[in-house]
Amino acid sequence: MAKESDFYQVYEVFSRRGNKAPMQHQFSLLAPNKEMAMMMAQENFMRREEVIDIWVVKQNDVRKMSSEERQNWTKRLDNKEYRTTKGYGYLRQKWKEKEQGMLDEKEIMSWKEVKRK
Amino acid sequence: MNPIVETAEQAKQNPEYLKALKELLYQLADDDLLISFRGAEWLGLAPHVEEDVAYSSITQNTMGHAVMYYNLLEELGDGKADDLAHGRKVEERRNGTYLEKRNGEGKYLEDPYYDWALAVVRNFFYETFKKTKLEAIANSSYQPLAYVARKVLMEHPYHLAHWKLWIQQLQSSTEEAKNKIKQRVLEAWEEFGDVLELGTLATDMRKHHLITIGEEELLDRWQKEITEVLLDVPNATLGKRYGSGRNGEHTADLVQALDTLAEVYNSDKSAAW
Amino acid sequence: MYNYVEDGDSKTTAYVEQDQEKYDAFMARIEAGEKIEADDWMPEDYRQALIKLISMHGISEIMGALPEKEWVPKAPTLRRKLGIMAKVQDEMGHGQLLLRVAEDLMKPYGKTRENIMEDLLNGDLKFHNVFHMPTKTWADAGMVGWLVDGAAIISQTNMLDASYGPYQRALQRICQEEVFHAQHGESIIMALAEGNQYQRDILQESLNRWWPALLMFFGPASAETTGSSKQDIMIQYKIRKSTNEELRQAFLSKYMPRVFSLGLTVPDETIRYDQEQEKWIYKQPDWEVFKEIIRNKGPRSKERLRLREIAYENNRWVRTALATEPVSV
Repeated sequence: MAKESDFYQVYEVFSRRGNKAPMQHQFSLLAPNKEMAMMMAQENFMRREEVIDIWVVKQNDVRKMSSEERQNWTKRLDNKEYRTTKGYGYLRQKWKEKEQGMLDEKEIMSWKEVKRK
Repeated sequence: MNPIVETAEQAKQNPEYLKALKELLYQLADDDLLISFRGAEWLGLAPHVEEDVAYSSITQNTMGHAVMYYNLLEELGDGKADDLAHGRKVEERRNGTYLEKRNGEGKYLEDPYYDWALAVVRNFFYETFKKTKLEAIANSSYQPLAYVARKVLMEHPYHLAHWKLWIQQLQSSTEEAKNKIKQRVLEAWEEFGDVLELGTLATDMRKHHLITIGEEELLDRWQKEITEVLLDVPNATLGKRYGSGRNGEHTADLVQALDTLAEVYNSDKSAAW
Repeated sequence: MYNYVEDGDSKTTAYVEQDQEKYDAFMARIEAGEKIEADDWMPEDYRQALIKLISMHGISEIMGALPEKEWVPKAPTLRRKLGIMAKVQDEMGHGQLLLRVAEDLMKPYGKTRENIMEDLLNGDLKFHNVFHMPTKTWADAGMVGWLVDGAAIISQTNMLDASYGPYQRALQRICQEEVFHAQHGESIIMALAEGNQYQRDILQESLNRWWPALLMFFGPASAETTGSSKQDIMIQYKIRKSTNEELRQAFLSKYMPRVFSLGLTVPDETIRYDQEQEKWIYKQPDWEVFKEIIRNKGPRSKERLRLREIAYENNRWVRTALATEPVSV
């Protein structure tokens, strides 16, 4: 007889809490196929939290970083201010001199409502 | 046009209406209580851990549905929900007999040789029936009941999908599994009949628009849905080997269930637990 | 839950020649608070200690569901039935999380969940000593939820910073749910403590019976007591922080005032908090009994293992049937 371990696969489970939330990794489970994995996922890991969407992915299908890659590929020099707002912070003072406000993240994200004519 | 009944007080004005309404509520409440009691016995014993957790959520949801119906009965003046669930005698129970059936051989505390094929067939049959019945109650003349039915229907699709997947999985796998499912389907065919009945007050239930379809249509709709999923549908007419639970006829298995579920409740009825 | 308590005559880990350079790098990482992942290099004794700890922890959750589960169908009200069902479901869920973590650690040895279950049933893998005890009354359901889980929370939170990443992540989930468990247990106990004479009697009787098991929960203070203890290696590898005795003291400090505030007593008239030594003085439980229990010779060891074995074997056909993809009709 085949060993049970031959057909139980590891599935990684992801879920999304709300429309603005990213897909988030939750945990993993054992299931014989993806339909069964899906049927188990919500009640195993999200019994008490909001969920609007779920993905299950067979663990073997995930290209994960190896141990070495995690050690070697994830470290960066701290010299990339030009890539972030941190490198442009001096503008706040400049605009202030010209009696203008800074268009920072808070301001720009608030533009979703445009006054209707 | 069916008259709308908004509140318990209003329902109490018409004795015939009230009687039929209560009868229907006891059917709904007792069905959910008994099948969730059998589910509670399974806890910790399912075929694998992930299923154990998922099944328990369904069981909890189902018992939660029973609570809502008992609460409606409490509002109608029949006593406290807990007393209705724990304290009523065997002959007062209105659940279908197939739902009180033991999970298999043995007891949950000792030698639980429970049969997963029975769990799968029973839950699939029941959840399909529950959908059919609740859809016919979602527009009930009794507004508090219609509201509960719509709420329950929101939670129900996952339950049905869960057991449908299990049926599909097992009936198309090993010979052993196919055979076990087939045997349990044959058995259910001889025992499930009374679940689809509405009991002696069926006519009044229809007359007062408590439910929008009758027994025959309930059976037709249920059978149609079952047939779409089952690979082997028995040819025979649906039987009710143990009589009709809707009329208070029950088996020794219900006695065992009630003795267990009310053991602590009975130990001191004056106590607040 | 559950700290690691080892059986005196279990197999010892074979000493494996370590690659010194890798070992030093590993120790430097855990000293710096970094987390080790399943596919990182790790010393063999670290891996083996983790496998034993986590598979025992996981299987104890699953075995631990059984004594409480006895009261699930019997709970006295609908609300209590639902509450205890959700609680026991969580214990199974914790077992699931922990077994997954253990399975990934065992992968290099070609072992799976099947092996864990078989090791439990053949006696190689032990489950926690507290779950060998009977639950005789509804008060026991409360006692398990309140004090046994209280002890479990003490030992599990002690490992929330564990150096092994997947275990520590599982523990974050588990401990969050334990907050509900603690309140679930308190709620049952509170109703009994404020109830009638019969209810107060079964509560006190339950505490008297559970008292030695609660003291034994954390394991012996040192290896001399029972012949073996792995607590040192657990602390060295930053898996847990405190010793068995430190955890027991923390438990007594947190829970004894609550026990007394409900008008309950414990069957040890000598128990007291010594201000000078800053610790609880208590009568030692019979550690010989403890040794028997962890060899599966406790009051309910055989029955619980038998239940688990029946469920496992009786459902084997289902797991076999899951080999194929479902066919939609």
